[in-house]
Amino acid sequence: MYVSPIREPLIKGNKDYSQVTKDILAPMAGTPSKYWYMGMTIAGAAALFGAWASFMTVFYGIGTWGTNKTIGWAWDITNFVWWVGIGHAGTFISAILLLFRQKWRTSINRSAEAMTLIAIACAGFFPLIHMGRLLLGFFIFPYPNTRALWVNFNSPLLWDVFAISTYFAVSLVFWYVGLIPDIGTVRDKAKDKIRKAIYGFLSFGWTGSAKHWSRHETISLILAGLAAPLVLSVHTIVSFDFATSVIPGWHTTIFPPYFVSGAIFSGFAMVLTLLIVTRKALHLEDYITVNHVESMNKIIILTGSIVGIAYLTEFFMAWYSGVEYETYAFFNRAFGPYAWAYWIMMTCNVITPQLFWFKKIRTNLVATFIISIFVNIGMWFERFVIVVTSLHRDYLPSSWTMYKPTIVEVGLYVGTLGLFFTLFLLFIRVFPVIAIAEIKSVLKSSGEHQKHADHE
Amino acid sequence: MENQSFTLPKKLINVAIGMVIIGLISLAYGYFGGLGGERIAANLLMNNVYFLGIALIGLFFVAVHAIAESGWQVSVQRIGEAMSAFIPVAGVLMALLFILGGMHALYEWTHADHMDAILLKKAAYLNIPFFSIRFAVYFAGWIVLAHLIRKTSAKLDLNGEIFYFNRLRMLSALFIVFYAVTSVTSSWDWLMSIDAHWFSTLYGWYIFSGMLVSGVAVLIIILFILKRMGLMTHVNDEHVHDLGKYLFGFSIFWAYLWFSQYMLIWYANIPEETVYFYTRINQFGTIFYLNLVLNLVVPLLLLMTRNSKRMFLVLLPVAIVVFIGHWIDLYQIVMPGAVGEEAGIGLLEIGLTIGYAGLFLLVVFRSLSKHPLVPKNHPLYKESLEYHTNY
Amino acid sequence: MNKYITAYYNDEEDLLKGIKQLKSKGIDVADVMTPFPVHGLDKALGFRRSRLTRVAFIGGAIGGLTGFLFQAWVFTKAYPLNFGGKPFFAVPSFIPVTFEMTVLFAAFSMVIAFFIRSNIGPGAKTIIHDERSTDDRFLLVVDIQEDEEVKQVEKALAEAGALGIQFKA
Repeated sequence: MYVSPIREPLIKGNKDYSQVTKDILAPMAGTPSKYWYMGMTIAGAAALFGAWASFMTVFYGIGTWGTNKTIGWAWDITNFVWWVGIGHAGTFISAILLLFRQKWRTSINRSAEAMTLIAIACAGFFPLIHMGRLLLGFFIFPYPNTRALWVNFNSPLLWDVFAISTYFAVSLVFWYVGLIPDIGTVRDKAKDKIRKAIYGFLSFGWTGSAKHWSRHETISLILAGLAAPLVLSVHTIVSFDFATSVIPGWHTTIFPPYFVSGAIFSGFAMVLTLLIVTRKALHLEDYITVNHVESMNKIIILTGSIVGIAYLTEFFMAWYSGVEYETYAFFNRAFGPYAWAYWIMMTCNVITPQLFWFKKIRTNLVATFIISIFVNIGMWFERFVIVVTSLHRDYLPSSWTMYKPTIVEVGLYVGTLGLFFTLFLLFIRVFPVIAIAEIKSVLKSSGEHQKHADHE
Repeated sequence: MENQSFTLPKKLINVAIGMVIIGLISLAYGYFGGLGGERIAANLLMNNVYFLGIALIGLFFVAVHAIAESGWQVSVQRIGEAMSAFIPVAGVLMALLFILGGMHALYEWTHADHMDAILLKKAAYLNIPFFSIRFAVYFAGWIVLAHLIRKTSAKLDLNGEIFYFNRLRMLSALFIVFYAVTSVTSSWDWLMSIDAHWFSTLYGWYIFSGMLVSGVAVLIIILFILKRMGLMTHVNDEHVHDLGKYLFGFSIFWAYLWFSQYMLIWYANIPEETVYFYTRINQFGTIFYLNLVLNLVVPLLLLMTRNSKRMFLVLLPVAIVVFIGHWIDLYQIVMPGAVGEEAGIGLLEIGLTIGYAGLFLLVVFRSLSKHPLVPKNHPLYKESLEYHTNY
Repeated sequence: MNKYITAYYNDEEDLLKGIKQLKSKGIDVADVMTPFPVHGLDKALGFRRSRLTRVAFIGGAIGGLTGFLFQAWVFTKAYPLNFGGKPFFAVPSFIPVTFEMTVLFAAFSMVIAFFIRSNIGPGAKTIIHDERSTDDRFLLVVDIQEDEEVKQVEKALAEAGALGIQFKA
């Protein structure tokens, strides 16, 4: 396929197919580096903190949290939405960018999808833990029972159950179907018997037969077509949790697309945070180039600006509506007791990404890394602002109150961060972090060596 | 391949002028037939907004692909550029409408004598001077940027200098930022303020998504006309397929926003919000549901398979249905507030739309005939010719 | 067990040329194993467009209908309950679950059909002719018919530029 010479190469260095295989499989071989062990120790410790906090929550109950009668939703839902949002980048990259034929996605889709799955698992933890009785978690599914009762299909919380579980299941299938050919490669490159047997089992007997590839391409495209609206639906339904209510600051029609945009925004920020470190640690700079980072930064500007416009629209409409409660809710957000959270959100989400308009900044890895952290923080505060500031001043001034997280809530949050990094560190040891076959299929048209050949 | 410059065929000019005359006759019929100033003003506004929106989407199409550096659309880029030539015409017509009393007929908030408490609260935004300033800013920005983008694209075509390619990207980014804000605020100004008491934060994006679909539909229709004239031979099934995918995908996106807005208002059931849908469902019931059938069900079912997106035989009728569908969507947006129960689809509505369509065709084809149809020197042109799509 | 010959190419363009040559000589290529999907191979081997998309459509339709009708049945027949004054047959409320069920069923039915149709799955046993066919080799498999001369086919393969020609029985 012809690619214009003005495009930057997607794979650097003079590589052939076997070199690609070797480079991408390299991080899986041998014993892990000491940095890997260090990361694992820190992440494991955080996860243990989380385990303690979970124990406290289950053993003593929700009373160990800082929520109160006015602010019934706080950190748990904030964290839930934050994690679901982060879980949007992977499927966005592999589905929507596939449909839009953005070839640069081939280097990052595999790890971004893995990150998505892990993030969704972390998100799912919060609704479960807040039930208190974990063993009765299956009550959320509609199944025939002795009480002849069904679940409430009118409740956005139930839609969430369907949306998140479907999203997880379909993303998992999408990810695994894409992974199968690469597991085949790992199997065929494995030296010892046990490894070969395990990857042989996981590879589903993949041979690379032309007929299989033909079908594989078909189903990948259809899965992308199905996953694209699915990505939109998930955060849309999460936004319904708030927007279907009548609480000023929650009930606003812009929520669905604005949440989706924010989710992709935060997801890309997390992908950048992870990949800037990963590419360095695993020596994959030739595959995840500055060019890739720049493309992701452009998506950050786009989604960040959409989020910014949504903030302003909400603010304007609160005034324009003429509803005094709406107006007050937004005034209170910006100038009330939680104003600090609001301005952190505004700075991190609306102002910092605008720095990416400068080419110098968006091609600078250190700057990108720092801004990506800012965006992660900003998007966490966005959810906190929406949840807590909208609730803390009730219609009755007598029930106005403030919210402070307890150590148990902090533990739950830090615990999921620990879980996230633990699982990601395991992932990079167990599976190839870059889609080997997809890289090979664009190597000829977008590799550096080929580009030069075209010019001569 | 030759440049495919062409002179405007006489037949096309005659047809378009005929359409404009039909429009003028129906306007005269509306005026002398006593259909009332409100209905005439509402019709003019609605068609103006519709064709202006389509023209802006033409420019948006060019701009968004320029900054995404995609290759395939280069083959149909000229159509998008030509569509944007209608922006100044729409600006003049709209200014005339507002100056010649349309404003008073359309917008409740311009009547200083019966303002209620809620409208008084909004007076800082909804007042005639500020409205006019915003109007001027929108059109100034759109016209200048459209002109610059077209000019740069023409220069790029001379020798494919990378300088103009980069400049095109910069101008496109500027336009997108400007349009992102103005498309939202202009929809508040011109459409949402008809129902001055009502508000919805999603409104601007909803209007934009509808325009996006109809813009793509019109692009497909123009492409078909050009192909029938024996031009645009470099556009193959793959390009048509991609346009079909856009029509399919954006129709679903529009429906998604429609549902988001409707569902949240239905669910929360707050009277000051539900009033909007209450009037539409009770007084304009048929139109309300027809809107969903034409704009969601038809494209969803007919464009699902791969082949239907590649064949004009299916794609063209769907594009026409969607074009009519979004006109109907706009009808149910404008009419209940501006005209009320006397609204109807009669000679005025149909004739005036034909008139606007004729004028639009005339302007767009005149612009198309000025530049070579094949952007041969565009750095990504070759890429656009040699690519294949699956599904 | 039937007899066959394997051979490989180092480059996908040589592979496509080779297949064309073999076809012109009337030699049927039984299978090709490549490390990545080669553009144009479908056409060269004369594959028809996969019908898995239809499975997805049918699966999605079943999922969507099941989801919608089940909710409608629960709310209007099985246990009608008034939630916030909403109608029992609350269509807008049913849309999210209906949509999710459509996607879930479409995706799973299609992927399962893919595995069944391709005879692969967890722990499936398949023959791996060359371990480098998932790395950098483009492998050809040519079946030997009863009446065919092995030598002749081998010669044709060599002429078509194939490497590592091996006869297996």
